[in-house]
Amino acid sequence: MHSVNSILALFYRELKISYRNFSDILSILMFFLLGILIFVFSIGPNTEMFNEIGIGVIWTLILLSNNLSLRKFYQNDFNDGSIILLHMSGLSYELIVLIKIMIIWIFLQLPFFIIIPLAAILLNIELPNVNLILISFLIGSPILTSIASISGSMNLLNQRNFAIGSVIIMILSIPIIIFSVGIINASEEIVRAQLQILIGILFFFLAVTPWVSAACIKLAIQNK
Amino acid sequence: MLLANNISFYRNNNIIFKDVSLALPPQKIINITGANGIGKTTLLKILTHVLIPKKGDIFWNGKNIKKNLFNYYKDVTFVMDKQTSNINLSVIENIFFWKKLFSSIISKKEIDAILDLLSLDSYRNTPINYLSNGEIKKLELTRLVIEQKKLWMLDEPYIGLDIETINLLNETFINHTKSGGMIIFSSHYVPDIPNIENLQLENYAQR
Repeated sequence: MHSVNSILALFYRELKISYRNFSDILSILMFFLLGILIFVFSIGPNTEMFNEIGIGVIWTLILLSNNLSLRKFYQNDFNDGSIILLHMSGLSYELIVLIKIMIIWIFLQLPFFIIIPLAAILLNIELPNVNLILISFLIGSPILTSIASISGSMNLLNQRNFAIGSVIIMILSIPIIIFSVGIINASEEIVRAQLQILIGILFFFLAVTPWVSAACIKLAIQNK
Repeated sequence: MLLANNISFYRNNNIIFKDVSLALPPQKIINITGANGIGKTTLLKILTHVLIPKKGDIFWNGKNIKKNLFNYYKDVTFVMDKQTSNINLSVIENIFFWKKLFSSIISKKEIDAILDLLSLDSYRNTPINYLSNGEIKKLELTRLVIEQKKLWMLDEPYIGLDIETINLLNETFINHTKSGGMIIFSSHYVPDIPNIENLQLENYAQR
């Protein structure tokens, strides 16, 4: 009973903080839309081409905007002592990681479900393909959040090299890009198989991330 | 009762302190003193199992805290040298978060009384980043009362406080020990409280 209360308290606090920092989320969405626009301008008015490469462009920009969320995970709670306080209230680090992933997925990835169809209109992507993007994003976005969590926790002690976190995200995201973008060009029979592989990756990351991130946080606290 | 046996701590193969032992029965206060960098904060962090010592064990009520960590945490309040209040939330929001986080049974009236006593009452709905250092420290100290636990650990509790609040804190310490509580804190200032014992960390340093 005690820890249920603590979980709810943490959940509520995170919701509140994310809501207070809503402008952050808006700017990430702006970044995504502007990136799409830049692609549109740089490629020129070639509508057929957009239909072919559109999904790749959208996924690339989803990845890049995911990088921006990196520092939102544990940095603040680590710099002040609150992550230790949360631990002392009876929550294990693994549970804290899981709650953080959930909150950040809700606040940073869910808005993309509205903004992706908008981007698809800009890129002139056909409707069935838009559905495919949304399905692959539904499976792929929790993976991206997990990867950002891993990278964010790995870089807690790193005060100088900010780019390395993004590099880690990029490297870990390669399989997701391959399987989610691959859907569009795959023939109908393979689409299902591709999605199943993506779901497999999702379960792998959901299983591994809490332990990896918690281990990194513990290590960071030990070495501070 | 808190017992620590022969705790040694190394950082990058340098000995910070060696074979520190302490016993803290109920109604007792230990003040850890020592020069800067001698390891006062480190010792407190070891006693709360935030840092893990190279050697030595810590026992709470006869049980090793390593194996009964969350049972131990149910009895400990740790006020760190840093703030744990979130700067995006207001004073009262932080307090209610702590209350819920620790499933505290403290009533709204008591919270109002504490805020009034610490003269934080007018800042109720102010976000933390508009508060001064002393006020943030005061807010941090309210956790002692909110969490309602037996063992208090405080890292430099007197820093940034005005004289009025220092007296108030000393009074709170006395009341807490009278009701069977235990306190460990580190400070350069030795307050005038009964049942206080000094632990000089210099005696354990290898220099």
